[in-house]
Amino acid sequence: MDTQWPRWEVFKQDDPQQPHRSIGTVHAPDAEMALLIARDVHVRRPDCASLWVARADCITALTAEEIAADPNWHIENIPPDAPMQLYLIFQKTSQRRAMTYVAHVGDVEARSPREALRLAMERFGTNKVFVWWAVPAGAITRSEAGVEASWFAPAREKKYKQQSEYGDVGGLRAKVRRNL
Amino acid sequence: MTEIERALAEKLLALADDELILAHRNSEWTGHAPILEEDIALANIAQDELGHAMLYYELHCALAGGTPDRLAFFREAADFRNVQLVELPKGDWAFTMLRQYLFDAYELALLAQLTHSAHRPLAEVAAKVRNEELYHYKHTGAWVRRLGLGTEESHCRMQTALNELWPYTAQLFTPGADEEVLVKAGITPPPAEVREAWAAKVLPWLEAANLSIPLAPTVTLRRAEHTPHLTRLLAEMQSVARSDPAAEW
Repeated sequence: MDTQWPRWEVFKQDDPQQPHRSIGTVHAPDAEMALLIARDVHVRRPDCASLWVARADCITALTAEEIAADPNWHIENIPPDAPMQLYLIFQKTSQRRAMTYVAHVGDVEARSPREALRLAMERFGTNKVFVWWAVPAGAITRSEAGVEASWFAPAREKKYKQQSEYGDVGGLRAKVRRNL
Repeated sequence: MTEIERALAEKLLALADDELILAHRNSEWTGHAPILEEDIALANIAQDELGHAMLYYELHCALAGGTPDRLAFFREAADFRNVQLVELPKGDWAFTMLRQYLFDAYELALLAQLTHSAHRPLAEVAAKVRNEELYHYKHTGAWVRRLGLGTEESHCRMQTALNELWPYTAQLFTPGADEEVLVKAGITPPPAEVREAWAAKVLPWLEAANLSIPLAPTVTLRRAEHTPHLTRLLAEMQSVARSDPAAEW
């Protein structure tokens, strides 16, 4: 029996005007626990308006390199009776270190993840997109409306110190530098 | 101090000591929790409880003098007013999660009423603390359900924890010597009402987790009485502060 908990991708929305962006992962036994854990691991201090989680193995990812290396990447046999379903589309559009987020850009209806990505590229364009993700809407679990005050608001008032604020550490550094 | 102020100061000390000792017990898991994610989550909960202790100590000190640090680090076990429930050793993960769950439910039942306290500073603190407790309750409740309904071993550990913890829950609702004074003044709710609200929360949840409720709780000791576990906990918790009482932190 596999006793390892699955990995979940965590998407955080900083404020209601921003898209949900991937900020990291957690291991959890199920979606509800993944959300609870994501709150503790990823929302300890920064602002948050909403959290989503999705099992990592439900995400279909494609990089610009993979697309360039295989022009036929989108060719597949979709069963004729495959139902249409909604996919959430995410893009990473910067390689700068501080902005390596994969952000939600919109939704498409498709019969497979690859078809969803092909349609998304037509709709959203491919300029400066480094990574594409497609996630079935049904695979995403969202924090409930109304939990803001207990889940997210308390983090705003929590104080923390940068390392440089600790006098002793700063003093020690200066001492080390003087002795170099 | 008036009679009411004296009674309130004692009550605030009890509230603060519960939070402080429980926070310390939870902090003992730091670096030892079953998985990294829960290590962070429980450390977070412990920090929250420590923050709540601080708020109650400050209200206590405003009435009775002293400082939170002196109260936390320079009192002997006999002077602490926490319930024995929170000083018991941390046990296994089932024990820690269930204790935190039972305590969170008690806090929510109490805080729902304290937010209407006639002592305004206490009502304000209660509103603030309650927000974080709603989240704690959700988190620990999720664990109780999963372990109760999980494997044979997880269920057995959870039932064992419940059998051990249950008798100690009575002390949460045992009226203090001056409780009447506070209840009459509308400052704190009658303990029996808090107990009723608590039972309405935890009984259905524990039963839904397939756990058998033990017989009626029995530990109704006064809050000045402690197990030897508290002395050992304080010896560790206070050792650094006492090694250099003049140090600034």
